[in-house]
Amino acid sequence: MGPLYLFSAVARHNQWLSVRQATIAGNIANANTKGFKALDVDPFEKVVDSARLAMAATHAAHIGVPAAAAAGPELRAAEAWEVTHSGNSVSLEQELIKSSEVGRAYRLNANVVKAFHRMLLASAKG
Amino acid sequence: MADPLQATLKIGASGLEAQSTRLRVVSENLANAQSTATTSGGDPYTRKILSFEAEFDDALGANLVRAGNIEQPRPSFRLNHDPSHPAADANGYVKLPNVDILVELTDMREANRSYEANLQVVKQAREMIALTIDLLRST
Repeated sequence: MGPLYLFSAVARHNQWLSVRQATIAGNIANANTKGFKALDVDPFEKVVDSARLAMAATHAAHIGVPAAAAAGPELRAAEAWEVTHSGNSVSLEQELIKSSEVGRAYRLNANVVKAFHRMLLASAKG
Repeated sequence: MADPLQATLKIGASGLEAQSTRLRVVSENLANAQSTATTSGGDPYTRKILSFEAEFDDALGANLVRAGNIEQPRPSFRLNHDPSHPAADANGYVKLPNVDILVELTDMREANRSYEANLQVVKQAREMIALTIDLLRST
């Protein structure tokens, strides 16, 4: 069996999801702050694409190439449904929809990990 | 950034606090909707308005919200003719507070809605933390 990258992939996705949840929380908390622009994180696909794997130095002559520092997802302005007169671009409905999306994805991840963990345990116990 | 889920809880809490301060100001305005001056010709209660400010927290790396200054914008008092009132001026007019009940109630509903949204975020974050902890539970 080849190496299983599932757990690290899930961990990374969950990390991204929790950053997104924190961003959404910031948006909702500032739903009534004048001039506040709603933020969102880069899509996960983009974060994965930009992440590079570290090259292993298996020989004395190899020059270790440090992996790109595991930078957190970047924040950028979200596309706004509405901008109020005070210049605030937070839409509570939009943020709550995003928040429930995050919750759903997180639950899916947790259940996938659980299922795989059960599978590993089943084979370990024999 | 600290643990984003912990940060979420803190941000949600700051939102809840800001909205409850707003509700406090609204209730103050409503309670004093009829508060006139006690001296003749004096100014009555002036409506208060709360504004919010986004505050970047370096430790959390996130935008918290803070209830900013409580302002009392340029008052335009309503005049009521009631010469027997203790606060009536020489012409018999009493200045009534510039509180519009309808506006205050709208503000209250909005504070309510924002409070609920913040609460929902806190709930969601708690659920996510619980899901992670549940992974440790033996199946």
